[in-house]
Amino acid sequence: MNEILEIALLVFVVASALVTALLRDVLGSIIAFSAYSLGISIVWVFLRAPDVGLTEAAVGAGVITVLFLLTIAKTVRPTGDRTLERVNPGALVITIALVAVLSMTVFALPPVGASDSAVVTDDVTEYYLQNAYTETEVHNAVTAVLAAYRGFDTLGEAVVVYSAGVGILLVLHKEVFE
Amino acid sequence: MSDSTTDAETPTPYVESPIIMTTVRIITPFVFTFGLFVMFHGADSSGGGFQGGVIVGTVVLMLGMAFGIETTRSWVGPKLPVGLVGSGVLAFILIGIGPVLLGGTFLEYHTYGIYHATKYGIELVELGIGLIVSGIVTGLFFVISSGMGDNGGETA
Repeated sequence: MNEILEIALLVFVVASALVTALLRDVLGSIIAFSAYSLGISIVWVFLRAPDVGLTEAAVGAGVITVLFLLTIAKTVRPTGDRTLERVNPGALVITIALVAVLSMTVFALPPVGASDSAVVTDDVTEYYLQNAYTETEVHNAVTAVLAAYRGFDTLGEAVVVYSAGVGILLVLHKEVFE
Repeated sequence: MSDSTTDAETPTPYVESPIIMTTVRIITPFVFTFGLFVMFHGADSSGGGFQGGVIVGTVVLMLGMAFGIETTRSWVGPKLPVGLVGSGVLAFILIGIGPVLLGGTFLEYHTYGIYHATKYGIELVELGIGLIVSGIVTGLFFVISSGMGDNGGETA
């Protein structure tokens, strides 16, 4: 049952990704991209990464869709009655070759949930799982790593978000978000 | 500022739909509460400042979609997103530097000597991240909806 669900989900994700790339109508493409993000966020939950899934659902399926819609509201629709984008054969060959090469690494990955994978047996993982609660007093080991063990990295990430906002204001010649 | 001039040429994609307005009015408090829950509860369950901040920011996006972006913009005010982002970064840095001043290392929470200092420190840091992210999300929403400023560059 679980496997059927996973396969259906993966088919859905790949199909919506293809639709996103091929649709000529940008509005349709954005809606397909939103569906793709929603599918990916459920894939993350299947892979036991609810934190990442929550981010993907909120950012990918939610906020990005709204920002894209706002952006295309300021542009014009392509004319003509073709539904799908014309595909450049050369680019298609290169893309398929690249995907094939990258897919080779998939076979090197351990199966999902394998007990002997590097993630499970690594010393660092062991240390975090053993000591995260006693040392930081938070139950979620992900949060413990993000905000305590590797807090300096997280400060960098927060400052990156801040800098992105400042950069956009500079590009748009504005002083406040208005 | 430049809205009155651009609005005449390109109207905002705003439809005064009673269905959207009623739905948003009902679900907004729940979404906001859920965002705060994710932000504060990130220490003990999945979630955290980033995810919670995005969900809280989504509230403003929904209000903008339902009641018009211009109305929401003037209701929120231009300085609030900037203030949120700035105070979030400042809070994170101050919480991190505090232990250094007290003789510890960066983000070494327990040098504060408060009961459960690490737990509360982590939650404050998450709150700071939440402020940054929600400010940026609402700010991007307003900036993209209004487009280029008229004091430089060509208009879109």
